[in-house]
Amino acid sequence: MVIPEQVEVAVVGAGPGGLSAALAATQAGTQVTLIDGYRRPGGQYFRQAAAELRASRPMRHQREGQALWGKVSAAGVRFLPETVVWGAFEGNLLALHGPQGSRYLEAKAIILATGAFDRPVAFPGWTLPGVMTAGAAQALLKQQRILAGRRILLAGTGPLQIVLAAELTRAGANVVAVLEGNRFFAKAVRHAPALWGQWERLAEGLSSRLTLLRQGVSYRPGWGIVAAHGTDQVESVTIARLDPEWRHVPGSEERLACDTLCLGYGFIPSNTLSRLLGAKQEWRPELGGGVPLRDDHMRTSVPTVFALGDGAGIGGGPLAMLEGQIAGIAAAAQAGHGAAEAERAIWRLAPALERERRFQRMYAALFTPGTGLYEWSRDDTILCRCEEVTQADIRRAIPLGGDSANEVKAIVRCGMGDCQGRMCGHLVAHCIAKETGRPVAEVGLFRPRPPVFPVPVVALGQRVEENVSGAVAGAGQQ
Amino acid sequence: MSARRKMGTEVVVVGGGIVGCAAAYYLARRVVKVALVEKSVIGGEASGRNGGGVRAQCRDRRERPLAMASIKLWEGLEKELGFDVEYVQGGNIRMATNEERMADLRREGEEELADGLMVEMWDRDELRRRAPYLSDVFIGAKYCPKDGTANPILASRAFGWAARRLGATLFTHSEAVGIAVQAGQVTSVMARDKEGELVIEAPWVIHAGGPWTPQLSRTLGIQVPIEPARSTIAVTQRMPPLFKEFISSHDLAVYARQAREGHVHIGGVGAPAGTFDQEVPAATIERLARGAAQMLPALRGANFLRTWSGTLEVTPDKVPIIDPLDGIKGYILASGFSGHGFCLGPIAGKLLSELIVDGAPSLPLHEFRLSRFAEPAMQEQTT
Repeated sequence: MVIPEQVEVAVVGAGPGGLSAALAATQAGTQVTLIDGYRRPGGQYFRQAAAELRASRPMRHQREGQALWGKVSAAGVRFLPETVVWGAFEGNLLALHGPQGSRYLEAKAIILATGAFDRPVAFPGWTLPGVMTAGAAQALLKQQRILAGRRILLAGTGPLQIVLAAELTRAGANVVAVLEGNRFFAKAVRHAPALWGQWERLAEGLSSRLTLLRQGVSYRPGWGIVAAHGTDQVESVTIARLDPEWRHVPGSEERLACDTLCLGYGFIPSNTLSRLLGAKQEWRPELGGGVPLRDDHMRTSVPTVFALGDGAGIGGGPLAMLEGQIAGIAAAAQAGHGAAEAERAIWRLAPALERERRFQRMYAALFTPGTGLYEWSRDDTILCRCEEVTQADIRRAIPLGGDSANEVKAIVRCGMGDCQGRMCGHLVAHCIAKETGRPVAEVGLFRPRPPVFPVPVVALGQRVEENVSGAVAGAGQQ
Repeated sequence: MSARRKMGTEVVVVGGGIVGCAAAYYLARRVVKVALVEKSVIGGEASGRNGGGVRAQCRDRRERPLAMASIKLWEGLEKELGFDVEYVQGGNIRMATNEERMADLRREGEEELADGLMVEMWDRDELRRRAPYLSDVFIGAKYCPKDGTANPILASRAFGWAARRLGATLFTHSEAVGIAVQAGQVTSVMARDKEGELVIEAPWVIHAGGPWTPQLSRTLGIQVPIEPARSTIAVTQRMPPLFKEFISSHDLAVYARQAREGHVHIGGVGAPAGTFDQEVPAATIERLARGAAQMLPALRGANFLRTWSGTLEVTPDKVPIIDPLDGIKGYILASGFSGHGFCLGPIAGKLLSELIVDGAPSLPLHEFRLSRFAEPAMQEQTT
């Protein structure tokens, strides 16, 4: 019924990690099929300007991405753009939908480089137009050269905020303030050794910080959002000081006028495909949430499935590229190529990997959001935007037997909408955990089911006419 | 983990599907003390994972009186239970793509009319007029106006919630592992949960364990010919209102319901009997998409958004077993609903409560005895 195309290595996601994995696996002698939902490779990290804007000077990451893509395409990787992987089934079967319709690949090895998505944060007014994720503001700027707004308030945690603020300022926006949830300076001293060798990052951070200083943008560690206000659009935002657990400090509220609020509260690993394939997961808040267990070769608990980069634990582009090289070599060996050299090649990458891991640990220690973040919503705050389910609805479902994210979903529909629970998954799980006093890991996330992206019915039911006559022939059966 | 708790009650219900929960509800309503044990969550298996059809037409003749009586209960259910279960009496259309099927439907329709069930035969023109959203592969249909649909997730759970409100005790994540019998009389049910063992003493046990029934009944030496089977549903994104009927075609092996929020639920593709596996294979999604597009042209512009699978149970004649067994006093089997339990759940629960409280049900149940499978004519099919 489903006849898949046989491939050696399939790489899902063409961000920095996926590109590196595809290159390494190809260089090891395998035929690689690289799949990405967007038209152009690069992911968010290397996101390229739209074709119409190519005349403008590319940013630094865009130049790096172009160079890496040049190598990947010269190596002969088959690239399937604008193609989503909507399902992953037992037996390394991937279900694809793209410009050529629906198709299936059966791979000897699968490399998941699915990346991450911005962590949604719910507070009164978070669904107002003008509230967006930092990732969205950055994509608009990088790809379309569009400013998300005129007077922009950035709120979140981590140095990416400073970089984005500087990019927006250079592009002409008025950045009202940058709110940093963590007070990390004191902690940073302890982690200083992890910064040794991270000169590019330090330089980028420093130059961004200087840009903000020159522009007089206020940078406020230990502050967060209380509410966004406005009728059709954000007009102002109430902010407050945060205690170490990120709860609002009463009495510290201030109100700032702005037309755009960008939220950068870190990322959530995109783990649905590894879960569908049966890879064992663990709950690691410092890595962004649920991540697949892996060995040194980036191999998950399913021997033919590898996972790397942010989708296996938030770590950023450079770490993803290193993990990609390792996964590419290991997956090639799994598919029967270069097994003899694989161990040594991976061993050679170990020191660089450890350096990036050290940075990852430092980053997590300084910039993981506090759990109070999930107490910024109120009873009338919508947690599931697609189905318009409020926090009160979710709390109401708990005494009715809603002891897990899945059961609450069944009762009040949160997570049943078009985003398939990507937006509300963590919000709902934390809400239940808080309400019942149980750990988030025990409450669990929504169980993923194919399709993990909406897929056109016609793309699946292609041979319609032929089948009608076939079915009529068997009409006697009940 | 080794804690052993003990309690007493009047009736223990094993299984928190719609049949078990409805039994608990109707018993509690008659002030009987009930405890229900469920291995996972209330309404979490086939009761909450089905197409949501509530129909009396196109049924085995033995089931028909039960289905008709159940629909009478469905009509007043939301008021009765105090929960919105999205029940809509929108009618049921069973379509035909060929003359043989039309002839079968006509024969069945005559029998249904004779049994007092109002149905209509529609020819091609009438079908076009009454259901213009259907594709033109259909040459006619049988229609039952009293049939309808409900939200299976909510309806099955609502019985549990209402039973609890009336004082029934519901133990979820609690698996029944044994039934004790002394001198031919049921005395207690043993269950296991994460805190340890629970013993519930009672003179009555209603065993409504669905596909998990045989493994427990076997401990009493009772063989129940029930096989598990998988049923899968695919759900589209929200669509504008297209139809209010439950529509189905055996020829295309597909059925559909449009839920209140606009999502169209497509079912009709099963898996080989004998599996408890609840995966959703790619081939199943393909077949559901094909059937959907064949039946409803409007879905050719829609996306599938979600899928799920559930495990239902099938008896050799696809008719349930509702039987106070002669051999063991106090033990009542209520299982094997073969995919019909959602519609029949309310009446099954009510009849079970009557068996216990009144000593006799208001509708005859002798057609649903377990012993029918032991009769010579059936023996070959069951073994």
